[in-house]
Amino acid sequence: MIKRVLIANRGEIAVRVVRACREMGIESVAVYSDADRSAPHVAAADRAVAIGPAAAAESYLSIPRLLDAAKASGADAVHPGYGFLAENAGFADACERAGLTFVGPPASVITQMGSKIEARRLMQSAGVPVVPGETPEDQSDEGIQRAVHGAGFPALIKASAGGGGKGMRRVQTKSEALEAIQAARREATAAFGDGTLYVEHLIGRARHVEVQVLGDQHGQVVHLFERECSVQRRHQKIIEESPSPALSAGLRDAITSAAVRAAKAVAYRGAGTIEFLLEGTGDAARFYFLEMNTRLQVEHPVTEQVLGVDLVRAQLLVAAGERLAWTQYALAQRGHSIEARIYAEDPAQNFMPQAGPLVLCREPRMPGVRVDSGVVEGGEVTVHYDPLLAKVIATAETRELARQRLIAALRAYPILGIRTNIPFLLRVLDHPRLVAGDVDTGFLDGEGAGLAAAPELELPPFVRAVFDHHEAESQKARVDSRQSRSTADSRLLTLDSRLSTPDSADYDPWARLKEWRV
Amino acid sequence: MNITPVRDGEYRVEHDDRQDIVYVAAHGDSQWAFWNGHVFREERRRDEPEKTSAAASAARGPQRLTAPMPATVIKVLVSPKQKVGKGDTVVLLEAMKMELPVRALADGTVTAVNCREGDLVQPDQILVELS
Repeated sequence: MIKRVLIANRGEIAVRVVRACREMGIESVAVYSDADRSAPHVAAADRAVAIGPAAAAESYLSIPRLLDAAKASGADAVHPGYGFLAENAGFADACERAGLTFVGPPASVITQMGSKIEARRLMQSAGVPVVPGETPEDQSDEGIQRAVHGAGFPALIKASAGGGGKGMRRVQTKSEALEAIQAARREATAAFGDGTLYVEHLIGRARHVEVQVLGDQHGQVVHLFERECSVQRRHQKIIEESPSPALSAGLRDAITSAAVRAAKAVAYRGAGTIEFLLEGTGDAARFYFLEMNTRLQVEHPVTEQVLGVDLVRAQLLVAAGERLAWTQYALAQRGHSIEARIYAEDPAQNFMPQAGPLVLCREPRMPGVRVDSGVVEGGEVTVHYDPLLAKVIATAETRELARQRLIAALRAYPILGIRTNIPFLLRVLDHPRLVAGDVDTGFLDGEGAGLAAAPELELPPFVRAVFDHHEAESQKARVDSRQSRSTADSRLLTLDSRLSTPDSADYDPWARLKEWRV
Repeated sequence: MNITPVRDGEYRVEHDDRQDIVYVAAHGDSQWAFWNGHVFREERRRDEPEKTSAAASAARGPQRLTAPMPATVIKVLVSPKQKVGKGDTVVLLEAMKMELPVRALADGTVTAVNCREGDLVQPDQILVELS
């Protein structure tokens, strides 16, 4: 069994993994860069190790530094989270060679699936349909341009090593191709260290539906049903849910068995996700393999909520060599769960990422609402990392109730000091097409684009009144603090006398228990 | 109207026969409020002259293209004396793993380039000047 896990990540996912470890009695080791010294994931873990400067390349992306940290802390396993090195085969391999259990699939599977090009070939041979497209041998600007013309417009240029929309560009017309190719290659090289590109035909009005799978070291593979992630802005998922409102029972059977087939084709081990594009509706809809993510997904909580399982726990058990705790028949969807991603970004300014202090940040607490967050009030959002602050997951009996619950939760989630996308998310959640569950991946970039720049509500008079009240209070506090020590002392005295007022002591039965205190 | 503090920065306001929870926080010159999913931001020193926004100054005379947030310069696409058109990307920045293009707000000629590839730049720092 695993005794001590080093979590090679930061933010909400590191906190999430710490929580699972704690429940299982496994010790957790956080790592942190100079910018994250006082970050919540560091405070949450049992131990913490500094791994270098703020720049991710020299800290969270540095394999030697992470291995050193694992050695120094006596960890016997490494959980990579998502992003950073989660899908880096070299890291998985280096961990195994250093005698550390990598919580994820074998390095060879990461390599196979990490090359989106190789993955396409594998899936085709396993009988899983793939999106029509081309993989040019000639990776020069000209070679990719030829492939773009071959795929037909609109086309999508994608990074072979890609994910999360990075290194991906949509090309509508011939004239846009060159700039798009160069930008995609630059982004891919910067984010993944690999600028290899491929081209797919862009399937119009498609939904993004993915299937969670889990395999153990004994050859068992189960699926944990689907997630619908069609609410995306520039290929970045924003709202995810399970079940998908688009799947008929027949289609659900077909897509989940295709996913299991895909996972078995690569002898998959651990938690993984098979992403599909879904075109059309009902039993007549067609789905195409998009890619396989060989890690935990950001949106894994919606699956946990409707399946009643803990995916991180399952990952750790499988990594330790145990058999899957459930058979396929034991797994069923119950109710509906929707997740909204909270980003530090300003929708009114073209979703510009925001850096700055979280002067006030209070998470909603209500039944059926889960908040996975990696920030706290008083913390600072820096420019160095992804702007994802937290995820709010609402679960209820039906989709509509989950939607209403999520809206209520977001209306009770004040984050002040920097702009976030919460007001934007609320508008999206209220859009008639989202309410109807009739959303494709082009929704937010097309019809829903206007939601970003919606006019701001004029300051209501009662909010103005609170502004003025708060301003007056803080001015008073400033004046107070400038006054002499004696004032401060007298205030302390007031506080003391208040604490020891006779009536409060008399009133409290615990105060009279004396040696009977528990 | 009756305002009662609930916790630090959190107030209950009774007004118009109803009550609402309003959160308030101040930072620097900005004052922020949150009510029911809406965020309000106000500058506290209202008497100070407003900064000329880039967009406003673009309409007439020289343009000073600035960094919108702390970022790293990944590519400088223009050099002095070069003519650029409205919407052309002059500098490519990267922050939080995203590329941020800095674009010309109107046609013009580059008079100065004040940054180099690899520089870490701060908000409102002038990167490129156009005539």
